[in-house]
Amino acid sequence: MGAVSLPKSDGTTVKLVPSESIVDAVKEIATTHPHLVGITAVHADSNIELLYSFDNFRGELRHLRVILPDKQPSIDSISGILLGAYIYEMEVRDMFGVNFNGHPLPNTRLLLPDSYPAGAPPPLLKTVTMDQLMKLLDSVQELQPPSPAIPITGSSRYSAESVVILPFGPYHPALKEPEHFALALEGEKIVEARPRIGYVHRGIEKLAENRTFLQALFLVERVCGICSFHHSWTYTLAAEKLLGITPGARAEYLRTLVAELERIHSHSLWIGLLGYWAGFDSMFMWLWSARERIMKLLEMIAGNRVNKSYITIGGVRADVSDEKLKIVQREIEEFKKEFKKISEAVMSYEPLWERTKNIGSFTAELAISAGAVGPTLRGAGIPYDIRKIEPYGAYPDLSFEVITEKGGDVLSISTVRVKETFESIRIIEQIVEKIPSGNPVPQTFFMGTSKEGEAFARTEPPRGELYYYLRGKVGSRNPYRVKIRTPTLPNLVLAAEALKGYTLADVPLILTMIDPCFSCEDRAIVYVKGMEPLMVKLPRSVPANLSLGCPI
Amino acid sequence: MEESNSIKLIRKSPWLFHFNSGGCNGCDIEVVAALTPKYDVERLGAVLTASPKHADILIITGPVTRQTAGSLKMIYEQMADPKIAIAIGTCACSGGVFRGGYNVLGGAEKVIKNVICIPGCPPNPRQIFAALKKLYENKLEEEKNDGGSKLTKE
Ligand code: SF4
Repeated sequence: MGAVSLPKSDGTTVKLVPSESIVDAVKEIATTHPHLVGITAVHADSNIELLYSFDNFRGELRHLRVILPDKQPSIDSISGILLGAYIYEMEVRDMFGVNFNGHPLPNTRLLLPDSYPAGAPPPLLKTVTMDQLMKLLDSVQELQPPSPAIPITGSSRYSAESVVILPFGPYHPALKEPEHFALALEGEKIVEARPRIGYVHRGIEKLAENRTFLQALFLVERVCGICSFHHSWTYTLAAEKLLGITPGARAEYLRTLVAELERIHSHSLWIGLLGYWAGFDSMFMWLWSARERIMKLLEMIAGNRVNKSYITIGGVRADVSDEKLKIVQREIEEFKKEFKKISEAVMSYEPLWERTKNIGSFTAELAISAGAVGPTLRGAGIPYDIRKIEPYGAYPDLSFEVITEKGGDVLSISTVRVKETFESIRIIEQIVEKIPSGNPVPQTFFMGTSKEGEAFARTEPPRGELYYYLRGKVGSRNPYRVKIRTPTLPNLVLAAEALKGYTLADVPLILTMIDPCFSCEDRAIVYVKGMEPLMVKLPRSVPANLSLGCPI
Repeated sequence: MEESNSIKLIRKSPWLFHFNSGGCNGCDIEVVAALTPKYDVERLGAVLTASPKHADILIITGPVTRQTAGSLKMIYEQMADPKIAIAIGTCACSGGVFRGGYNVLGGAEKVIKNVICIPGCPPNPRQIFAALKKLYENKLEEEKNDGGSKLTKE
């Protein structure tokens, strides 16, 4: 049996669309629901089901479902309508072998290298097991450093002499994580930027299918160490929906507390790094030293600073005593004073201001089309915050503002993050006061089996909307499919666009703007062997369009 | 390249090169935290360098993925002797939670020999500091002979 409908209590609707009319259906839906949350693919019963999810920025989700046969699946690309779709389509193409007609980068496998054995089955198909994949990949594994570049296939609209393709990364002092960008430069100016991701791909979605619901929780937490709690929370929310479990009120408050502490630590980490890339090292040191206060609190509450493993299906794993809550209150007051002092000092420092104003500028329209989320989108004036539009945890009881700024550049995004940190402090103050009593720890950890069905959940991590989709098969201990859509993926589409027109020296700042987290993004991406040798000499004739940008 | 079993620092100011071989960022931010004021490994003369050619110690975080294995080998080879490799975090030690994934080779020892392992997910900056301090004082060897070491691994 094919599609199972999503729980109707969400107020969400799923519409079944024949594959030929996907473009028209998306055109229609995009007039009211312009935010593409993601494209989820599931391989079930010799079909590949695609679920396109849209939001109207008010939390009224709508889904389109298309069912394709798993033999040579093919469908029209929608990236001409919504720019951000191209990266989701590439993900589906690599993981499931779906062909998207009219895709702007038809032959460039951004995620899967050209050297991936041609006839090899895509990794997320149910018909291919982990062992088979291992064997296959081991047989082609070499200890060769990957060629550090992206083949820019086809050619460009720029004359060959004037354009230099500069490889940026994968191991570059300005990148904290290994990623690669091919920058097309005209003199100092960037005319084209193309990201190549997949260096830290660990195959988490496939791994999760081989673990029980509870084990997968620890796995998805390690998608990303910085928003680890949000990953585990979103997964738990989806699992609870699927399994029909509700946590107690105290558990909801404690989850919210840890999530907000995580936001503060992530934002101060980011603001510090901004200083670092802008050449303002003391700012970096100040913020990271203030942040240690928060890390101490997290360690006190959860027992670990980074991967906290605090949440579990049905509640949290340990209660927090009143004395500890008092400490939270006291420390957060201290942090507030410290953060206020630092943020006032740095945000009023003119050189920083000038270094970040009008750098990486983008418009709200571009941000929407790219599907950008989180502070990046709010920095362009769109108040899109899942905590407000689709409240979860204890957020319905708490008052806080959704921060927006007008500018759409590095400066306004930084301002959003600074102000959000204060809002998080405000939320934590309320939590400590309002937290209800009760037992937040479930009697037993969930070890049971799944129901038939599917569920999704969204939260608002520090970097923006995170989306999890879960599919369960009745009687199975393992999830049938776990799909993760992380915030960096659409934000990266935007950053690649925003780089255009700026100079090489601005690259670290602009890439930092979106607070990229490649470990998040890469879990879904297969990378086996090196890319083609780089330094493609740009051919003289002009065939394909080099541009990543699709006509909107 | 000669392989020796004794892990000794020659210089008193060990420079570090940080290599993320596929980690979740958790270990990475703890390494950075160890560099910043509260822990401050710069007290041991350690600084983060931008080039492996300047570094004495290679810090590896995360499981080695198929894609990064080659770069890891290349970067290690580029470092001048004597050199030390430290795997920070369970992933870099053994592949950790991601072991068995189709794109994960395993720990750093799949690619380089004689790696010092600091397990933890992620290890606390205090542990990172302690390990570097032991290295700095050349105490690592003694520890091992006590039989109680968590740090060395050959
Ligand atoms: S050891 Fe833990 S924190 Fe470190 S990279 Fe692995 S999962 Fe992340």
